[in-house]
This record gives sequence, structure tokens and C-alpha cells, in this order.
Amino acid sequence: MAGIGFVLRKLSQQDNLLGVVHGFAHASLASVGPWLLTIVSLSSIIIFTANAVPTPNLDNFRLVVIYNFAFSLVFSGPIVILLTRYLSDRIYEKEVKEAPGMLLGGLSIAYVTQLPLVLFFYFYYVEFGDGTRIAAVLNFFLITSLWIVGIFLSALKGYKFVTGSFAIGLLCSSLGAIWLAPIFDDAGMLAGFNFGLAIILFSLISRIFAEYPYAIVNPFGFLRFVHTYRILVVGGLVANFSIWIDKWIMWFAPAAETFGNRMIAYPDYDSAMFLAYLFTVPAMALFMFSVETSFFEKQFKFIQDIHHHVSLTRIRANHQAILSDLGQSARNLVVLQVSITITVILIVPYLFDALEINFTQLGMFRLGLLGAMFQIFFQFMFIVLSYFDLRKPVLFLHLLFLVTNAGFTLISIALGFPYYGYGYFLASLVTFMVTFVVTLRYLDQLPYQVFVRNNASVQ
Amino acid sequence: MMIQTLPQGSASPKLSREVLDRLYQPLKDLQAGGDLSVVSQILDILTPLQDAVGDELLLNSPAAWDLLIRMADTYDSDMPFLDFFWTWRMSLASFYSMLLHPLPEARVYHAVSTGYAGLLAARASLETHRPILLTEHGIYTTERRIEIAMADWLYEAPSEDIKIEGSGQTLRDIWVKTFITYSRACYQACSKIITLYEGNQQLQIEEGADPEKAEVIPNGVDYAYYVNIASERDKYPPTIAFIGRVVPIKDVKTFIRACGMVLPHVSNLRVLVLGPTDEDEDYFQECQNLVSFLNMDDHLEFTGKVQLGAYLGQVHVIALTSISEAQPLVILEAGAAGVPSVATNVGACKEMILGRTNEDPPLGAGGAITPLANPGATAAELTKLLVDDAWREQCGRAIKERVRRYYQKTDLDRTYRALYDHYRHAPDTPPFPVSTA
Repeated sequence: MAGIGFVLRKLSQQDNLLGVVHGFAHASLASVGPWLLTIVSLSSIIIFTANAVPTPNLDNFRLVVIYNFAFSLVFSGPIVILLTRYLSDRIYEKEVKEAPGMLLGGLSIAYVTQLPLVLFFYFYYVEFGDGTRIAAVLNFFLITSLWIVGIFLSALKGYKFVTGSFAIGLLCSSLGAIWLAPIFDDAGMLAGFNFGLAIILFSLISRIFAEYPYAIVNPFGFLRFVHTYRILVVGGLVANFSIWIDKWIMWFAPAAETFGNRMIAYPDYDSAMFLAYLFTVPAMALFMFSVETSFFEKQFKFIQDIHHHVSLTRIRANHQAILSDLGQSARNLVVLQVSITITVILIVPYLFDALEINFTQLGMFRLGLLGAMFQIFFQFMFIVLSYFDLRKPVLFLHLLFLVTNAGFTLISIALGFPYYGYGYFLASLVTFMVTFVVTLRYLDQLPYQVFVRNNASVQ
Repeated sequence: MMIQTLPQGSASPKLSREVLDRLYQPLKDLQAGGDLSVVSQILDILTPLQDAVGDELLLNSPAAWDLLIRMADTYDSDMPFLDFFWTWRMSLASFYSMLLHPLPEARVYHAVSTGYAGLLAARASLETHRPILLTEHGIYTTERRIEIAMADWLYEAPSEDIKIEGSGQTLRDIWVKTFITYSRACYQACSKIITLYEGNQQLQIEEGADPEKAEVIPNGVDYAYYVNIASERDKYPPTIAFIGRVVPIKDVKTFIRACGMVLPHVSNLRVLVLGPTDEDEDYFQECQNLVSFLNMDDHLEFTGKVQLGAYLGQVHVIALTSISEAQPLVILEAGAAGVPSVATNVGACKEMILGRTNEDPPLGAGGAITPLANPGATAAELTKLLVDDAWREQCGRAIKERVRRYYQKTDLDRTYRALYDHYRHAPDTPPFPVSTA
């Protein structure tokens, strides 16, 4: 009988309610700047080398970059999300001595697991010159490294430094690629591009070692948590997979191309979708700002106050504050993004004229704009749910997007060219609607979710 | 059966809400100090649900959360919610686990305390209508009250100003009143409410036990062994023994001071402290210092842990200065050997030494009772017993006779066997009337 007091004390002192996981938000949002810079750099490389390099070699460069970004993102997803969570837990505990070790451990696991497939692909499957093969493999691992290094920098919140590094590095990339292209063709372009990426990578790593000046200890310590965070790990894979699945499926559409190097792609679809996604950048910036300024503060207060034994009245007031804050942010975001999307849909013909884009992409692009709009809306809601550590619903929603995006895209291929793009659009719409309902429900029941459903002490 | 462990259960949201709506009032009563009718009402709601009821419905469903909030809203608005949450959850999980686990079938159920054991017994009574026995050594609710009052795991908000408004109900009240409900329910369900001595019985009656059902069955000692210890008292100087651990609750210092006050009257006094000295080294050191201070080093001996039988033959009188006891058996063991005792008025000491109020025929004093922490009174009674041989022998005879008649271990076994036999064959108890007022 005397045990009851003991158990209660243990429970009331546990910290399970507090899942500070804002690392996720940073990781996904801090990448906006580098992402834009990368697009600018790649576009400039392609524009300025178009006359100096034969088209097949230009294609090689373009395809390698697309493949490497896409597959490294998907393959690295699980380890990136695991490290993100592990690092933010360590930061919460104010015990970051393991960080440099984690970085090396994370990189080596990513390299070892991905190397066989990448080597097989570039050295056996694809028809390239030897220089291009080596440059392509290097390129893949530079990009993989950047995904992993990014975790540590978003935790440090060194946005300016990161963006600066990317600006300088990518300028070097562009100049290097443009300079080497006439001499070594595609291998030169990749080497030049790699040169800039390497500058970025090493400057970021040096910053991490400067910020965490500790010896390398326990580099694989985070692997203990694979089981604990298995939902996250699977979620990391599914999330990135779902973003790319419609593109990959479209690569098998009748209108897609198989290139001389044996790689496949559907450039019209891919570029329509990338371009459409670009128009979500303003909303991303606004969302990032809202999360960083008011939402994070209110969410933190909500959780922190609970631990400071506040009354139910205070908890209710804090809950209301979160709801009204989110409501306001959502309204601003919707107004902004809907205006942008509608405007762009209306002016597409002029835009395409001006940019000299192939008009066959017009339908796909408009659907892409709508799809991207709904996609960032639901991704914002994912981030909000992640802030409250609601891993299971987030995983479910990621899966929903994966399945609908794959399913609808397959159907759109079967229905023929006029329907291309509908798969992504409808998948985004459906996922958005479900996410909206789920998020409203969770937010409405927030205290219940935090105390009961998402409390490890209770389960 | 594990306390707080419930089956998972599976219930539709609609059913959960219905059930929990009906549970609201009884659960409020449970936390406000109810009785058997509360347990009965809740059992009536839960039993028909069978497999549907469990963790999910009662504790984890959204409807359960709404119930928790509804209950929280009835307490002071500044009650720390995290702590209310755990109090609510832990106390109800324990409560439900007692109601839901399968109950073994028996002719008689015997609880050895109120609290959760008593709650389970009360449930057994409601479900099987078989007789329930309760034997309480310490009074559970009282002990719980002390534990909860001293609990540092219950968070107390620092009070910023003196409050005038509000119900003043605290989390401690919720815990205490829940335990009061359990003990009342158990007392009501019982056919016999047994304790060791009359003082405890009085507490049980104050907590709601029916005096008609209350009975005292004291613990007993091995009379035959102690009565045969040969007296060697003639060979020893007048000897006082303290039998017990050297710890603060036994108040050994008052005993030493009392002996110091006996010394001027009995110059060849011999004092024995029979019991382990290693449980509280600091306290033991303080006691030794006190002995030296009172110039008693030549008279008083700490023996450490010893076999009592080896010493009882040398002892003229026992002293006991504890500030808390239940039924200290040393008084009976010494008594069987014909040694009178001087004890503080705690637990069952008074009725063992002076006899119960209804003792017939009265056997007379077997020593003396003194107030707590009063070395003067203890010394006076000890001196009287040591210098007045006739009085000492009279007390020795009285206590020996009392132990022979009322405090033999063999009697205790026989009494319980008779109780079991009686209730095993007794008819079912009448169904408990549920007051729906």
C-alpha cells in the first residue's frame, strides 16, 4: 500500500508531457533559402552552358542532379528524422556533448547504407563516361551529407550563416560548372557543381565543430532510439517518399523519356511541378515567421505551465491562446497563398510566353499550383501536429498522401495526357481535407491529447 | 490481482459517454466521503458492461477526459491541474481495479485492513452476499491520514495570499475522503469488525463501524513458555527492564530519566535495556550520554538484541515509555512470567495492565499506567513497585492471571477458527439496500 505515494511521485516528476520537437519545423523550414539558391544556381548553370555542351551531356547533368536530390532525400529521411529527434532531446536535456559524434555516426551510417546502391546505379546501370560516374557518385554523397549536416545547423538556428554559406558555395558551383563545362562536358559541370557543394559542406561542418567543441563520443548512441522512435523513422521515409512518388510514377508515363544514358524522366512534368512549388515560397516564409515568433512561444507556455502545476483555468486560457494564434496565422496564410495561386493560374499563358516554356506543360502546371497550395497547407498542419509530438496521426497522414499520390497518379496515367497532374492535385486536396479535420480535432482536444493520448506515463 | 491494472476493454464512444455520465455523481460522492451505497451504485453500472469496461472506457477515452474536467471544475479553480489529473487517475485506477478483477469464490471473505483490501471485501459482499470479516491491527484510515498529511509527493501551490473563498477542498482531502469511503463501505459490509484492543475499537466506531459488530480479539502470547521461566529475582538487585529497540518512538530518554529519579530511593538499582541499539546510532549515542550525565553508568546496561526468556527471570519490573504502540506483546510475555509493567497510556497498554472495562471478575492492576513523556510519574510507579514487595507480587499475580485468561495464543487461534466455522455455515447476508435519495 505504501507504494502508491511512491508511484505517484515518480509519475508526477516525469517529463513525458514535454516533447519539444521544434527541430522538425526548423529542419523543414530553414531549408527554404538554400533551396531557392540551389534552383537559381542550377538554372544559371543550364542557361549558361546550353550553347557550350551538347544536349545529351546537358541531360546527363540535369538528370544526375534530379536523381541525386530525390533519392538522397528519400534514403536519408529515416536517419535525418531520427537524428533530429535525438538531437532536440539532447538539447532539451542541455547535454549536447554527443553532437559531434552523432554527426560522424550519422554520416557514416548514411554512406555505408547508400553506397552499394549508388555505385551499382552509376557504375553499372547508367551509361556515362568514367569522369561523370565519379562526379555523379560524389555529388550524391555531398547532397546526402548536406541533409544530415542541416539537422545540426537548424538546431543552432544559424540561418544567416547557413544561407550565406549556400550563397557563396553555390556561386562557386555556378562559376565552376560554367567554367569546366566547355572543357569536360557533363563531368566538368558536375565537378564544378560539386566544388561549390563541398565548400558549403565543409563550412557548415566547421561551424558545427565550433559550436559543439567536444570530443567524438558515442557516435552511434542515437541508434538505441530506433525502436523508441520507430514511428518517426518510418514517417521520415514515408514523408519524403510521398513527395516524390508522383514524379517517379510519371517517369513511366507514355510521354516520359528514356535517355541515351538509360535514365528515365519526364522533364515536362518534373519542371512544371518544381515551378509550381516555387510559388509557395512566400507562404513558407510567412509560416516560418509565425511559428518562430508567436506559435512556438504559446505552445511552449502551454506545456511549461502544465509542469508548473497551474490550474485548469490557466491551461484553458493557454489552449485558447494557441487556437486563436493558429487561427490568425492560418487566415493570413490562406489569403496570401490563395491570392498567389489564383493570380499565377490566370497569368500562366503570359508567364510561359515570357519564360519561353513549352505550352504542353500548361495544364500540368496549373494543377501543380493547386496541388502545391494544398500540399504546403497540410505540411504546415503536420508541423503544428509535430510540435505536440503527435507522431501517430502524422504518420497516418503521411501514409495517406503517399497512397493517394501514388494511386491517383497511376489513374491519371491510365486516363491519358489531359489528366496528367490530376493525381498530385487530388492527392494533395484529399490529404489536405483529412489533415484539416484531424488537426482541428486534435487542437480542439489538445489538453486531452497531451495528458492522455500522447503521454508516455499513461500508456 | 494488481492494483491499478485494468483490462483494456473496448467500448464505443457513445457507450463510454453514457456510462461515464451515470458514474459522475457516484464518483463525486466517492471523493467526498461516501459509503457502501457508492460502491454499490458504481458496481451496478459497471458489472453489466462486462468486457466493454476497462482502461479505455474508464480512464483514457475522450468521455473519461470530459468527466475528469467536469469533476475538476467542482474544486477550487486554483487547484494544480497536473496533480489533480494524477490524483484522479491513480485513485480511480486503483478503485476500478478492485471492482473489475475476477473475484475468487469463497464462503467467508476476511480482510486484514480497510483501504483497498476492505474495498474488495465490500465488493465481495455486494456480489456474493457472503459474510465479511475484518481484522484491523492499526486503523487504516488514521494511518493513511497521517501518511497523506506528511506526503511530499502531493504538490502544494505556494499560497500567495490568504484565501477566503473557495471550497477549500485540496488534493489531500480527495485522497483522505476516498479512503474514508472505502473504510465506511467495508465496515458496512462486514459481519464482524475485529481489532486488537478497545482504543482502536473506539476509533473504528468513530469512523462508522457499527458497535454491534465490533469485537476485540487481542493478540496472544505463548503462556506456557513464559509461565515456566524460573524466578531468580532473589539473587539479583532490584531490576528494571526496558524491552524494545533504542529508537525515538520508544522514548528511551524518558525511561532513562525515570530510572535516574528512582536511583535515590533504590541505591542498588539495576537497569537493563534489552533490545537492538543499531537502528538509530545517533539516538543511541544521545541515550548513552544521558546515562553518563545522570551518573548511572554503573547501574544501566544496554544489552543489545537478546533472547527475552533468558532475562525475564532476573527482572522485577518492566517499563515502557513509548509514544506510540498498538498491542506491545512484551507486557504479556513479562506478565506471564509474573513481572508487572509500568507503561505509558498508548495502544492496548492500559487494558492489558489494568484490565478491560468489562473484565469480570476484575483481576486488579498488573502494574501501572503513566502519562506520555512524564519521567516523574514513571519513576514514582517504578519506585513503588520496587520498594513495596507485597504490591509488586500482587501486581505480578494479577497480570499473570490476566494473560492466562485472555491473552493466550492458543485462544486466539481457537477464536478465529470458531469465527470461520460460524460464518462458513451462516446463511447469505441480505442484499444491500441501495439508497437512491
